[in-house]
Amino acid sequence: MAALSLRQKQLDLIVRMLHLNQPPPPPGTAAEQEEEVYKILVLDSFCLSLLSPLLRVADLRKHGVTLFFPIDKPRQQVPDAPAVYFLRPTQANADRVAADAAAALYATFHLNFSSALPRPLLDRLASAAAAAGSAHRVARLADQYLDFVSLEDNLFSLAHPRSYVALNDPRAADADIEALVDAIALGLFCVVATLGTVPIIRCARGGPAEMVAAALDARLRDHLLAKPNLFTEASAASFQRPVLCLFDRNFELSVGIQHDWSYRPLVHDVLGLNLNKLKMPADKSGPAKTYDLDDSDAFWVANSWSPFPRVAEEIEAQLAKYKQDVDEVNQRTGGGKDGVEFDGADLIGNTKHLMNAVSSLPELTERKKMIDKHTNIATVLLGHIKERSLDAYCDCENDMLVKGTVDRNTLLGLLRGKGTKEDKLRLAVTYLLSFEAPPPSELEQVEAALRESEVDMSAFHYVKRIKSLNTQFSCSSSTASKSNIVDWAEKLLYGQSISAVTAGVKNLLSAGRQLALTRTVEALMEGKPNPEVDNYLLFDPRAPRPGSGQFKGPFREAIVFMIGGGNYMEYRSLMELAERSQPTKHVIYGATEVLNGVEFVEQLAELGQKAGLGGGSSNPPSSSQ
Amino acid sequence: MSRVRDRTEDFKEAVRVAALSHGYTEVSSTPAPPHPFSSAYGRKLNDPQFIALRCVAMQAQLAALMSSFIIRKLTPKSPFTNAAIKTLESIRELERFIVKHRRDYVDLHRTTEQERDNIEHEVGVFVKACKEQIDILKNRIHDEEKNGNAKTWLGTRDESSRLDLIAHQHGVVLILCERLHSVTAQFDRLRSMRFQDAINRAMPRKKIQKKPEIKPAEPSKSNLVLKSDVSKIGDQEVSTAPMRVQEQLLDDETRALQVELTSLLDAVQETETKMMEMSALNHLMSTHVLQQAQQIQYLYDQWDCGLCVSPVTSSALSQAVEATNNVERGNKELSQAIQRNSSSRTFLLLFFFVLTFSVLFLDWYSK
Repeated sequence: MAALSLRQKQLDLIVRMLHLNQPPPPPGTAAEQEEEVYKILVLDSFCLSLLSPLLRVADLRKHGVTLFFPIDKPRQQVPDAPAVYFLRPTQANADRVAADAAAALYATFHLNFSSALPRPLLDRLASAAAAAGSAHRVARLADQYLDFVSLEDNLFSLAHPRSYVALNDPRAADADIEALVDAIALGLFCVVATLGTVPIIRCARGGPAEMVAAALDARLRDHLLAKPNLFTEASAASFQRPVLCLFDRNFELSVGIQHDWSYRPLVHDVLGLNLNKLKMPADKSGPAKTYDLDDSDAFWVANSWSPFPRVAEEIEAQLAKYKQDVDEVNQRTGGGKDGVEFDGADLIGNTKHLMNAVSSLPELTERKKMIDKHTNIATVLLGHIKERSLDAYCDCENDMLVKGTVDRNTLLGLLRGKGTKEDKLRLAVTYLLSFEAPPPSELEQVEAALRESEVDMSAFHYVKRIKSLNTQFSCSSSTASKSNIVDWAEKLLYGQSISAVTAGVKNLLSAGRQLALTRTVEALMEGKPNPEVDNYLLFDPRAPRPGSGQFKGPFREAIVFMIGGGNYMEYRSLMELAERSQPTKHVIYGATEVLNGVEFVEQLAELGQKAGLGGGSSNPPSSSQ
Repeated sequence: MSRVRDRTEDFKEAVRVAALSHGYTEVSSTPAPPHPFSSAYGRKLNDPQFIALRCVAMQAQLAALMSSFIIRKLTPKSPFTNAAIKTLESIRELERFIVKHRRDYVDLHRTTEQERDNIEHEVGVFVKACKEQIDILKNRIHDEEKNGNAKTWLGTRDESSRLDLIAHQHGVVLILCERLHSVTAQFDRLRSMRFQDAINRAMPRKKIQKKPEIKPAEPSKSNLVLKSDVSKIGDQEVSTAPMRVQEQLLDDETRALQVELTSLLDAVQETETKMMEMSALNHLMSTHVLQQAQQIQYLYDQWDCGLCVSPVTSSALSQAVEATNNVERGNKELSQAIQRNSSSRTFLLLFFFVLTFSVLFLDWYSK
């Protein structure tokens, strides 16, 4: 069965929508049917962010869209063009559409909503249209179920900002939390509907994960009762169903906070990657630029998970190769341009070389642009790294989390030395999270160092509190994995230095440390009895009665969803898991939003302040996406 | 393909319900309707007969509404859009033509050179016609723009409402251009394949040129068959004939060879020149279209940027805006120069003044 590529499916559906929901012509015959080729596209801001990783403006033109507008801008009349609207089903949008129809801005309206349009809104829109007499302009109204942003083939985000804060706020109203849970369940429903399969849902007991799982299960059950529904086409037999694993951010906080040394997490952390676009700050070389960093950039695809020094070397190598190619092209065509001599072999050779050179010129310019882009990014990153000594932070955190040891002097030195306040806070929180019971003297020293550097302590106190309250914290993922390897090592070898062996073996087995998330997902996918996951709940929407599902695996495909904020490091470890299992499995990773460490720590600080634990300077609440 | 839930039927139902309720609310609120004949008919408005009439009218309206859903009234398209659709049709025809003759064109043995040239010629004519149509559309946009501008200078504020329309038309022309470019690129690829064949045909002939021992016994057929045949025949001939006849034969063959080779040389040179021309034409055709597309894209981007920023500032053509900018800058520079000039003059005057007084003072002091 073809691997589920969420992004491709979403793209196909959007293209079909742009072609006014007419079936695409079979390949090979010319497209005859379309009379209405030149359309106008009207979007709201969420759908614009949905489309931007998928399509470029030139691609839009290929599908016949001449212009696209945000819905809020005042628009003028284009009397003979059909308009395709792609909106979220909110009241404001419905009113805008009705106003546009009344003003007869476009010839026909094809309305598409990114998720299900509730009946009251439909009635409201219909009555407004009937009152204005413009109902005949609405040619079509459809629910697209595309309410998520797919950043890559296997990575999606629901773009619910600050969901972690909302879910863990001690003073949040029940109604608010339920509304948020419903919204997340609806987003997941859209993902599942786009993939076209009904998954088996597994989640831990208690907490937001269980609530979301229950809500999603109920929604799927309701939907499956109606026939035909969105899933009747699913030809996959039951053993091909994927497993949907829901996790809460509190399951493993340390991943959300720590510094990482690979290229992509660094760029995301330091420079802020948003919807695969990177905004470079304006500097002396020119005004602020925006770079696209996605699948079309070959260097990015190849190197985004390599550690930073490797990346710098790769850039050098690419630059050298490019210079070599350019010299070659110049050499070949430089001599022949002087005169047209009828000299047999030379002439044919030169013509061919000329033609090759001309056709390869655009390719060479593209390569140069790519190399320039990455050189700029790497230079800026290097500046930041030097300024904040991020390499020291990475090493220290890695030591704490992986090996469980801490060098007190380095720790305190870093806390007092270079680095922004967020960096120090993150280091301190990682310290908290990596030890079950840190010695109180050390803890006091760490706190004193933090206070010296005038760091806002609310996040620190908050983490301390939830650590003491929540025994389910897997605060040291490495100790568990370490114990497995230690057992194994003990069985085979006697009397040797265990730690040296484990270090060596770990280097052989995996490049980075094993995240608790990856371990759990692996266990869930294998379906063998495992003490960690046995008490996880199981929901099967296709089972006859709620709660009677029994099928536990093994699964070939998995969808992993993190409620409260996902991370590129988790994405990468899940991709590695998928690649190294035999046979290769397929894992899709999603989250309510993709956060970097700085944004997540801000959310923690906000929670700390809401819980009244603040100390030191107050941070303004974040508006992360 | 039902990943999408089509709610159009629900919408129609809801519209029907809403229209009905709308009608009823109108009918029920008759106490004070703004009716043109209210003064004359006053009390007759509450007449049940009148209400019944209105109900019938409502039903008729409702029926019209529902039928308008079923029978889509085709709104008349503007002449611009019609022209654009026609151009698209012609581009599609061009594509179909190329696809139909693709096999004939590429395959070496199905057609002669003459037919291939014909195909190329026809395609070239077609492409020119399409380009002309696109140019006409572009000029039409400019004319409409100018008319719009002229109207604003005369005072009618119609211009702002046409910006979107003009941008849309630019977009349409750009789409057409890109389509044409992709089709010509397709054809250019076929052409390059033809060149490759031509080059290959030319190259082995040069190899034969360099090795005159191998006798070309047959007239030019396909290349590899030629070479292998020639070597076989050569072997046979050499091994069986007696000496004298052999020499005679060799002489004849050498002469034949010479003639053959000179003719080959001429043919090769001709092919060379033709290929140079063709390659030049090749690049010319697709680059021309590309240039046009880029021009249109430039204009389109201007409109797009302007639309994003504000509808009013983008009204002038880009060059006019630039010109005014330059003039403004020139004015600024001039005023600065004048200022500087005047300030330096005052400084000079002051300097001389002070000097004079100091000389007088010294003179008085020394006395």
